[in-house]
Amino acid sequence: MELIKKYPKLFQWLFLLIVFFALCFAIDVPETYKFIRGQAEFVKDPNQSSYIFLGKEVRYYAFDVFWRLPPLLGWLPIWINDSLFFLMNEWMPMEFWNEDTQEFKTRPLLLQISRNLTSFMTFLIELIREILLGGLETIVAFTSWDWIDKNPWAELPGLPWTIVAAGAAILSYKLSGKGLALFAGLTMIYISIFGQWKPSMQTLSFILVAAPLSFIFGLGLGIAAFKSKRVEKALYPILLVMQTMPQYAVLVPALVLFGVGDHAAVIITMVVAVPPMILLTILGLRAIPPEVIEAGRMSGCNNWQLMLKVLIPTARRDILIGVNQVIMVCFSMAVISAFIGAKGLGFNLLLALNQLNIGLALEAGLCISLIAILLDKMSLAWANKQTDYFGNLTFLQRNKNILFFASTVAIGIILAYVGTFLFKDTFNYLFEVPHNKGLSTADFWNKGVDWIFDTFFVYIKAFNTWLIQDVLQPMRALYLRMPAIATLVLVVGSGYLIGGVRSALVVCALTLFIALSPWWDRALVTAYMATFGVVISCIIGFTVGTLCFQNKHSTSFMLGVCDIFQTFPSFVYLIPVMMLFGITDTSVLIAVIVYATIPATRYTIEGLRSVPTGLHDAATMSGVNKFQRLTKIEFPLAFPHMMLGLNQTIVFALFMVIIGAFIGTEDLGQYILKALSDKNGAGIGLTLGICVAFIGLIFDNLIRTWVGQRKKHLGID
Amino acid sequence: MENKKQVFGKMEVSKNSFKTLSEPVKQFGGLVGIIILIFLTFFVLNNIFGEGDELVAKMKIEEERIAQERKLNKLISSLPSGVLVSFDGTDNFKLSDELYEAVCKATKLIPQRAIMGANFLNFRAHEIYTINGNKIDETFVKWDDEKNKCFAGFVVSGKNVGVDETITVSGEALSFLSTGIDTRVYFIKNF
Repeated sequence: MELIKKYPKLFQWLFLLIVFFALCFAIDVPETYKFIRGQAEFVKDPNQSSYIFLGKEVRYYAFDVFWRLPPLLGWLPIWINDSLFFLMNEWMPMEFWNEDTQEFKTRPLLLQISRNLTSFMTFLIELIREILLGGLETIVAFTSWDWIDKNPWAELPGLPWTIVAAGAAILSYKLSGKGLALFAGLTMIYISIFGQWKPSMQTLSFILVAAPLSFIFGLGLGIAAFKSKRVEKALYPILLVMQTMPQYAVLVPALVLFGVGDHAAVIITMVVAVPPMILLTILGLRAIPPEVIEAGRMSGCNNWQLMLKVLIPTARRDILIGVNQVIMVCFSMAVISAFIGAKGLGFNLLLALNQLNIGLALEAGLCISLIAILLDKMSLAWANKQTDYFGNLTFLQRNKNILFFASTVAIGIILAYVGTFLFKDTFNYLFEVPHNKGLSTADFWNKGVDWIFDTFFVYIKAFNTWLIQDVLQPMRALYLRMPAIATLVLVVGSGYLIGGVRSALVVCALTLFIALSPWWDRALVTAYMATFGVVISCIIGFTVGTLCFQNKHSTSFMLGVCDIFQTFPSFVYLIPVMMLFGITDTSVLIAVIVYATIPATRYTIEGLRSVPTGLHDAATMSGVNKFQRLTKIEFPLAFPHMMLGLNQTIVFALFMVIIGAFIGTEDLGQYILKALSDKNGAGIGLTLGICVAFIGLIFDNLIRTWVGQRKKHLGID
Repeated sequence: MENKKQVFGKMEVSKNSFKTLSEPVKQFGGLVGIIILIFLTFFVLNNIFGEGDELVAKMKIEEERIAQERKLNKLISSLPSGVLVSFDGTDNFKLSDELYEAVCKATKLIPQRAIMGANFLNFRAHEIYTINGNKIDETFVKWDDEKNKCFAGFVVSGKNVGVDETITVSGEALSFLSTGIDTRVYFIKNF
């Protein structure tokens, strides 16, 4: 009794766990459950029960409800599909003028809007692509094919790679200095001589359209949310879901609305990239001291002037970090949107992975990663660069970089012209190295992969077999063995114990959404894979982070490594694991572990760094040794921050598990991938995406609530 | 009136005593309450949607049917391709009694060859069959447990000289044709 009084929370948790396990043991697996799971899903089986809601028939196997809830939300994907179909094909038909046929044509309003939007996006992409690579579509858009036939000189020539490389180096020098300039120059040279120029510029053109548009929308919505509580409240749930929604899932409705191609990819990238921009804009504007606003008002600023001349410049750093995030999201989407036909490096990477040509995939992946790192560093340098308002500089000093660039443009043009003579009978390598004419290390890597397989096949197979048979399968079986009621009791009970009734209600609603969808079993498989990845990532991340924290140099080195790894688009992680482990669940899980270890390590280091130095000194003065200081002071104080890392680790792991469907898993991701090739897949894809987002949000809610309380308790809020 | 006052008084007392409970006890009570609420909700839902035992029974039958089908498919794939007979005196593969029964149960198809053969001995059926464009209403292959024989047949129907007629032709299936993928009735003895 004394123990219960002393540790009431512990007792409550124990009680919850006992109820959970009691339910797990009390509720038997239905005899035919395995058999039903073995059957194809969504087949019309006379043994299924059915109900009709909103005119949609939902078929399901009526298990004991304590074991599995009926899919009462099974109508939702069908309803979303039908609604989209109705909106796109029947809603508000109107007369629109058709330029090609020179007559009015009846079209539904949404279809017309979507077509106009896609033509606008296509125009922007083509414009930038033709500035970089040359072409005539843009000129034709303003003139005609006949005109361009008569005036072939008007065709855009494209930029020689030397000019782009020099431009990138000069811009990097201006933003950060010699180091970044050298990196930018070498990256561009690498891309060019390895024949990846064209796909790289295609990707870059896609990003140069998506990123500025995302920035404008994100900034606008962020300002609106900052100004109006109503807008913020309306945006909040969307932002929350979008943060944990796998990017794959958003692709499917985009296919229905905007079709296939670069334009659809740009629009969908904007959907994914705008939320972080909004969040960082709100964060930046909120952090402005009231004195600054007062000073602006006292200077006689009206609302617009206050926003444009005072608030935005003051919040510049956070806004530019938002730009950095937008660019990173654009890069990760550059690969994922290759699934809906976006051209460029992502498409090449996907093609190479599909052909199991690891060498080619590695080359494309390396290019994407290098450009991503470069743009990440450039945008961060821009964010951190202080504007010198008081420097009394001459015209030459102020504009030396522009002058440098102008001269490199001239040199680049001359070189390209000389190239026409030098490479008279072949390609002008001083203008552009064609895709299949550059250097290639693909053969070397492919042979390396073969060698790895030949040499280590026995060990890799043994490891694979052990992991799958002795670890993954039993773990998967355990998750699938959980009755719905036991899972709900555990999740809602945890919510109640951590955050009270409010938190319990939130997690209950989120869990019920998944449990009442037709994919509860798949969600459990997703949860099992993510759990495995998170547990291993946390062990590695917390250990590595703690060890690195002991030394200043290793800390900054590890943070640098985390920075670089975080910049890689998530798809790139699949390449090395496929090299080593082939197409198995092990590959996906190892990719999950590598990807999810980054936030675990970073937050551990940052958590430990956040412990006030005063406490270190106080501890040293009290005579504690290093280990005691770590376990008694640093860990307890850093733990809330480390738990935020766990939160990020879960989100990262979920993202990677979903992407892993590309290799072949049987979780929710696999169904999202299937929905991509299904003409009625929009509803399914979106609902599945929401399910994954809700898994993330359940943990997010529990962890954030706990962290908030813990910080309050420790007085470090 | 007095009673009401007493009830309100008691409620007030219990409310006050709840307030005096310590926070952990209240929280524990809340946890138990939530678990009971979840339980009740599931109980109600189970009464509306749950079909536990019925589903198990239905799916068991389905499971057995599929298992049986698989077994028969396995058997069929092990048979030699060609004609399988249930009698002696030919060079074709002779089916044992067990195999004869299994093949009979696995066979679903009666090809036109077997139908035409049986029709030769049933003039009226042959007439209806040809007049109505070789149309067959129904075919069947059944194992007769009492006679330990396999029976196959078909139903033809249609107008014959202005009169609607339906004739069932049936006889013992004496041989089958194994294609490696399935088995078909090869000869129906309807005499």
